[in-house]
Amino acid sequence: MTLVDSLRTRTEGRRGTLVIIALFAALFLYPVVLPFAIYEQGVLLLAFLTALMAVSWNIVSGYAGYVSLGHSVFLGLGAYTGGLLAEKYQVNPLWFMPLGGLVAFVVATLVGMVVLRARGHAFVIITIALLLSMQVLVTNFPSITNGSNGVNVPLPFWSSDYQNMPFYYLFLVLLLATVAFAAWIRRTKFGTGLLAIREDEDKAAAIGVNTTRYKVLAYAVSAVPIGVAGVVYAYFLSFLNPVGAFALLTSVTIVLSALAGGRGTLWGPVLGGFVVSIVSEVANVYGGGSQSRLLVLGLALVLVVLFLPQGILPAVAARIARRQAAKKTVEYTDQTGVATKRTPIVVTPRSAPQAERTPAPLLEIRGAAKSFGGLRAVDGVDLTVEAGSITALIGPNGSGKTTLFNLVTGAMPVGAGEIWFDGTRIDRLPAWDRAHLGLGRTFQTTRLFKSMTVLENVVAPLPTASWGLMAKDAVSGHEAERARELLDFVGLGRFGDQQAGALSYGQQKLVELAQVLMLEPKMILLDEPAGGINPTLINRMVEIIRDLNRQGIAFLVVEHNIPLVLDLCDPVAVLSRGKIIAQGPPSIVRADPAVLEAYLGPEWLPAEPVPGAVLDQAALSAKGS
Amino acid sequence: MTQLVQALVLGLLIGGVYALMASGLTLIFGVMNIINVAHGALLILVAFITWKTWSVTGIDPILLSIVMTPVMFGLGWALYKGVLSRISGTSPGMSVLLTFGIAITIEGVLNVTAGNRFRSATPSYFSQSYRVFGISLPKAQVYGCLAAVLVLGLLYLVLSRTWTGRAIRATAQNASGAALVGIQSAGVAALAFAIGTATTGVGGSVLSVLYPFFPASHYDWISRLLGIIVLGGMGSLAGALVGALILGLAETLTATYGSLQWSTLIFYAVIMIVLLFRPQGLFGSRLRQDVMA
Repeated sequence: MTLVDSLRTRTEGRRGTLVIIALFAALFLYPVVLPFAIYEQGVLLLAFLTALMAVSWNIVSGYAGYVSLGHSVFLGLGAYTGGLLAEKYQVNPLWFMPLGGLVAFVVATLVGMVVLRARGHAFVIITIALLLSMQVLVTNFPSITNGSNGVNVPLPFWSSDYQNMPFYYLFLVLLLATVAFAAWIRRTKFGTGLLAIREDEDKAAAIGVNTTRYKVLAYAVSAVPIGVAGVVYAYFLSFLNPVGAFALLTSVTIVLSALAGGRGTLWGPVLGGFVVSIVSEVANVYGGGSQSRLLVLGLALVLVVLFLPQGILPAVAARIARRQAAKKTVEYTDQTGVATKRTPIVVTPRSAPQAERTPAPLLEIRGAAKSFGGLRAVDGVDLTVEAGSITALIGPNGSGKTTLFNLVTGAMPVGAGEIWFDGTRIDRLPAWDRAHLGLGRTFQTTRLFKSMTVLENVVAPLPTASWGLMAKDAVSGHEAERARELLDFVGLGRFGDQQAGALSYGQQKLVELAQVLMLEPKMILLDEPAGGINPTLINRMVEIIRDLNRQGIAFLVVEHNIPLVLDLCDPVAVLSRGKIIAQGPPSIVRADPAVLEAYLGPEWLPAEPVPGAVLDQAALSAKGS
Repeated sequence: MTQLVQALVLGLLIGGVYALMASGLTLIFGVMNIINVAHGALLILVAFITWKTWSVTGIDPILLSIVMTPVMFGLGWALYKGVLSRISGTSPGMSVLLTFGIAITIEGVLNVTAGNRFRSATPSYFSQSYRVFGISLPKAQVYGCLAAVLVLGLLYLVLSRTWTGRAIRATAQNASGAALVGIQSAGVAALAFAIGTATTGVGGSVLSVLYPFFPASHYDWISRLLGIIVLGGMGSLAGALVGALILGLAETLTATYGSLQWSTLIFYAVIMIVLLFRPQGLFGSRLRQDVMA
């Protein structure tokens, strides 16, 4: 794959690529054509640096959605690393560029490992705190850093005739390298995982994405280009002090650039970096000096968030797409295509070699309990799912079915009890490890990554925890082929390139199933597979479940459609008020008085006991509630 | 021994002021899930206005908070209605960026109007102290802490004893549930933001006496206050109180036995250690999130 290809993304298209190539060719030629435009070169090289930092920031804050407000700390770290060593040994600082990147990487990894384990807001706060702490730290260690007196970096080795031209090219090349790096990340499994985290972190964990590792790594790699550039920056400035090197204003510029250009896109932050640097320079020159620059940047940030939250590039792309869409004839998708075009497939669960063995417990839940405050949602459940079975879990609303699912898949920690899966105790493992063991689930309301295509959704799951897998292309080769097969298998092969959010609810349920199959699961937990979808699709869902079961995959199904459960599943377990009250073959469970009471309340008694038809009615009224 | 008691007492006095400043921040986060990065800038804004008024009229800076509180309540209300409500419902990341923008705008305005240098309000009692059992209590610290305790007490009464307070707490716990029982969540959000901002009226006035400040001081303040609520558990008032006292004590103890310049770093180190063992903070709760959607 050529560099140009790798820099192309879906948003920009072919004409966009030509514009970008022409622009960068012009930037490369500019100092050759106008060697004496020294001021302009100075403005441009700082724009390259800003763009570079915005592109790096975008990896953690755009792709993964974790906003860092102190990203300039890595510029300072790189600058001080290069500057101090160069001053001490009186050598050319550029030798320390790799070291600057490494220092940034290590610091980001350490901080990330502490604050990125939990979800939520601690990260954004610690990023500001980190920047300010570094300022204090560098000021307070005068023996090493020379404190607030600053560092004198050796002067450039080249003749002063060249002015800043070498810096201009250095920053330009670094910028292009950073863009290529960000583009490569976006294409890999790692990149898809980051988008998955941004869209739905729990879901990402459920399909095998080690969210902690991904987030920490995203933060760490987003620091590297800035750390490298920091060394060059130190050389360029030739003097460093703590407040200047670890400046919050630089962070503001980074955030504003990425946001204005288009957070999450590849070229948006580059565009934003250019626009913001040049606007801020203009404001500086014509707007009353650096005092007002802050005011302009602050107001710009407020206005961009309020009126252009998606950024310039996506806004322009959307406008072009609308204009092109108007010319095309609309192609409607239909249910008949879904119902008829289905290809058979061999799905090999990872337990296949042992599939011959006699039924043995695959999943064992022993005394599992979970309370929310005073509410005991799951209250000492014992449940076993045999290998190769389709086990149903039914029960009235609020009886604890979904909570039990969450305990089994690791979306929530158990309060008490043990869960064993295929000979391994899993109740303390994170969700992704359980997915890697071959435990897949679907959700009650579908949770696809709506901004990704259907195909990207299906290839997103990670069946193993291997580091090498993360660097693989997300949509290519064997896996993409496999994903297409699975989509064909659920009858949605035609929709691979559609946005997942554009599909109907029932279709999304099928895509979610295909997604889980990518994990090559031994067992799948289905949360209301037939809820809210039409009868044709229900039949197809049943067909698919039977198909998969014949190939050795066990199922645990939560479902309110009782006729379907009694037809499809054996055994059936009934959960009521957090406890299993009945378990056994469908014919026995449906006549169990305790089950009837759980569904219909203690006052209700049948005029004459009709074993069989009763639970079906009960289910109907339960569904209505 | 006296030295230790002195440090502890001073730490608690400072901690009380921190608690007041952080309470508004944690209230806003609890109700709206917004990290108001502009909270520090609002404090500095109040400090500037207080300082200016004091230097022109000579009115006591801490007393001025009686005027500044309603003013900031109004400003908070206007900020919410005019700016923040426009992005309600989008990702929390956007609200961070928006309030960050507001903070920088305020800093920019102060830079342009008030100039970029250190100020401090120095009323007559500025350098005086009470002496109790051989311990010296700087008058300014005592008055500041008293004002803070008074406002915190009022805040507690409003939240626990009034319908408004209950509506605010209900919205903080479950916004859609509160809406179902007839609470207008938009109105409550505006009210909570206004109350949270009103606390900067007192906090900023006290700040103007206790600490020298300049426009960019707000970064320092916001990271301290955010540190407090991360340590205590985001959204928890009790957590903010405990976090603030820990910060106050960490500061005075490091200043007494080490050097003042390390005190903030020690505090951040404490935060990192706490987060290592309790990612949700000291008082933070992990509620079920599966039924929210």
